[in-house]
Amino acid sequence: MTDDADIIVGIDLGTTNSLVGFSDEAGPRLIPGPAGEDDVLLPSVIAFDENGQVVDVGHEARAHAVERPATTVHSIKRLMGKGLLDLGEDAVRLPYRIGRQESQSDRDVAAVFIGERAFTPPQLSAVILGELKRRAERFFGHPITKAVITVPAQFDDAQRQATRDAGQIAGLNVLRIINEPTAAALAYGLDRHESATIAVYDLGGGTFDISILQLEHGLFEVVATNGDTHLGGDDFDQLLIELFRREIREQFGLDIQSPAIKQQLRTLSENIKKRLSDRDHAEIEITIGADKTYRRTVTRTEFESLIAPLVDRTIEACSRAMKTARLTPADIGQVVLVGGSTRVPYVRRRVGEVFQRQPYTALNPEQVVALGAAVQASILGGARRDLLLLDVTPLSLGIETLGGAMGKLIPANTKIPCRASETFTTFQDGQTKVKIDVLQGERELAKDCRSLGVFELTDIPPMPAGLPKIEVTFLIDQNGILNVSATELRSGQTASVQIIPSHGLTRDEVHRMQKEAIQFAREDMTAHHLIDVRTTLEFDLNKAEQLIRRHGHLLDSDDRDAMLREIADLRPFAKQCTDPKLLNERREAFNRATIPLAERAMTAVLQEAGSKSKA
Amino acid sequence: MAAQTATAPARGHPTLPAKCRRCDAPLRSPAVCESCCALFPAPHANYFELLGLPRQYAIDERRLRDAFRSTARSVHPDRFAEQPAEVRALATRLSADVNQAFAVLSDPVRRASYLLEMSGGPSAADMRDVPPDLLAEVMMIREEVELARSSSDAAALQRHRQTILARRSLALQDIAGRAERITVSSDEEKRELRRRLNSMKYFDNLATELAGDPLEQD
Repeated sequence: MTDDADIIVGIDLGTTNSLVGFSDEAGPRLIPGPAGEDDVLLPSVIAFDENGQVVDVGHEARAHAVERPATTVHSIKRLMGKGLLDLGEDAVRLPYRIGRQESQSDRDVAAVFIGERAFTPPQLSAVILGELKRRAERFFGHPITKAVITVPAQFDDAQRQATRDAGQIAGLNVLRIINEPTAAALAYGLDRHESATIAVYDLGGGTFDISILQLEHGLFEVVATNGDTHLGGDDFDQLLIELFRREIREQFGLDIQSPAIKQQLRTLSENIKKRLSDRDHAEIEITIGADKTYRRTVTRTEFESLIAPLVDRTIEACSRAMKTARLTPADIGQVVLVGGSTRVPYVRRRVGEVFQRQPYTALNPEQVVALGAAVQASILGGARRDLLLLDVTPLSLGIETLGGAMGKLIPANTKIPCRASETFTTFQDGQTKVKIDVLQGERELAKDCRSLGVFELTDIPPMPAGLPKIEVTFLIDQNGILNVSATELRSGQTASVQIIPSHGLTRDEVHRMQKEAIQFAREDMTAHHLIDVRTTLEFDLNKAEQLIRRHGHLLDSDDRDAMLREIADLRPFAKQCTDPKLLNERREAFNRATIPLAERAMTAVLQEAGSKSKA
Repeated sequence: MAAQTATAPARGHPTLPAKCRRCDAPLRSPAVCESCCALFPAPHANYFELLGLPRQYAIDERRLRDAFRSTARSVHPDRFAEQPAEVRALATRLSADVNQAFAVLSDPVRRASYLLEMSGGPSAADMRDVPPDLLAEVMMIREEVELARSSSDAAALQRHRQTILARRSLALQDIAGRAERITVSSDEEKRELRRRLNSMKYFDNLATELAGDPLEQD
């Protein structure tokens, strides 16, 4: 029996959709939302009002995207761990306003502006995570505080940190960040006595990963990973959008500027892509002004030649991963498809070609990552001691050396946890601080790699220049997140390390955001609770009305009229009342008042049934 | 290469604690008790001890892999997710060491280099020389490759690649022989092993230039 209070949930925080799951004795499963068993996908979309208050999250928020593009935030994952300068095209394409978070230092952290308020990507992701957390809490009936969250395998340190920060802001202790393709491999839960080599091809809304794993007796060992954090189904949509905009320009001589039409075009393009998965052509029709309607048929062949260059990039990454793993297609026993974009038949065909085998798709590609996160949660909880993941770091880690080269300390595809040490010294007499700029990436020059941040070592004992021997240890933990520590070897003194992240939040900022989020969450909680009580009340009122219609004659006319009056009063009251506790008290009082009628009705029904069976 | 695993079983294990301090079960690795899951800091354990393998050059790949998997499984921080921070930190550190041990021991050149340093020989940073005739040989091969390249002679390029791989393979066999005798080697023999190890990257670079891809491990 699982200890309820200790449940660890598994979360897939996606570009397009997010899901939450857990594991019990029966295995991993997903937690549904309010619309019923199949409502497991939460669109990763937040609708704000003009003042920057969250109005809706999920399906309702997505439904508002067309009418209110500037206050509807989606594709947050693309912004995680990024600076404004990193975003390039995205900052222009996304319909909401993106700027830079205010800070004293010269950090570059992207932020989304809604009205007067600025939100960092971790704060926005925390809103999505908070919604999933509430989903789980409603399901279990008690608070949930522990989670495993998945990220694309190619996410760098800043993006992983941002994801972990988002969890913390949402009030979750993120026990583990795991890679999406690895999670998918876990979900497939291949027989633990089996030994096999598998490739996981994961093409989501905004990211692409290919991972090759060796499985043996429940050990999932990643041998190579490759991919692109900026390639996904959204880019397929974008190609269609660009095609339509170009044609609209040619046909009508106008450039679409209206955010609403842009958003409409995005929605229509996404639908065309989806329709082309099981049909060989699809139509678009969009009114762009008085008497101006753009109509167009897109054939599957046309769509395929449009996306071919992007799919080529994923296929090249597959070849690179096989080369790193020193494997050929013949060595790969199974190819697993993950992510909504693998529903595109052309993608399936190309993957089949490069690995020379039919891809395996027994599980829903949109759900498999969350299920895997739930399996990982059960590993951490100690329920599955037979399973273990051994992952690798996707990117090389290093420091800038003399001449501006990238000096690699830990190469890409090294098994994690891993560590490397490097000795530094001082250049001035009595110097007590040393700054180290840490880089991640595969390029030769430091300026082409990504700066993770500046690590400032302080408390170095004052000595003549060049004498201190400061051993700095770079440790990449099982989450793929860097930890730095330093010791001055001559004195044996531990130096303190302060991190100034280039594109992320400081610890203080995360703490402050967490506090703010909790206040915010309390308001949210009230709103949700209110909706729950209103829904339940409406159900109770309908039930009572039905009872009165069928069995009202069993009551005195006074009692019956009183009940009908109460029903008539309660409906408008439910709409006005903003205090869920008060409303619930009225609901309970009403239910108590209907008990005598319910009992009489029951007796009547039983008597009727009895007389029928005698007859 | 795998035939020698039975020699000198106890060599190089003078400090290995034989039994777990907590449950008294025999220890395969000084870092972890596979029976009661206790972790030990094992600050002085070498890579061979960490994986519970005899300290010697000749190594059976299958046995190394199994030893790695089994140790990695028992020290991984995911096994200690709900334990205090110190235990998790120790598990993370030990896992990093075990991963590093496997990376070094599974590569014949790095394994030889590691054994050389363990037995007091010079490190690559201490001594950068290469065998005296190496540079001339490398220069000659490079000239021939250039010639073949300028005349677009694909067959000749392929032949040169084969020659370089064969030359590398011979050099590695020579290193293996020297590394197997490391405990009884003189200081001069140790310096010679370092020179030979230093020469390996010249062959690797040549092969990489020619193939445009990293060298296959043998």
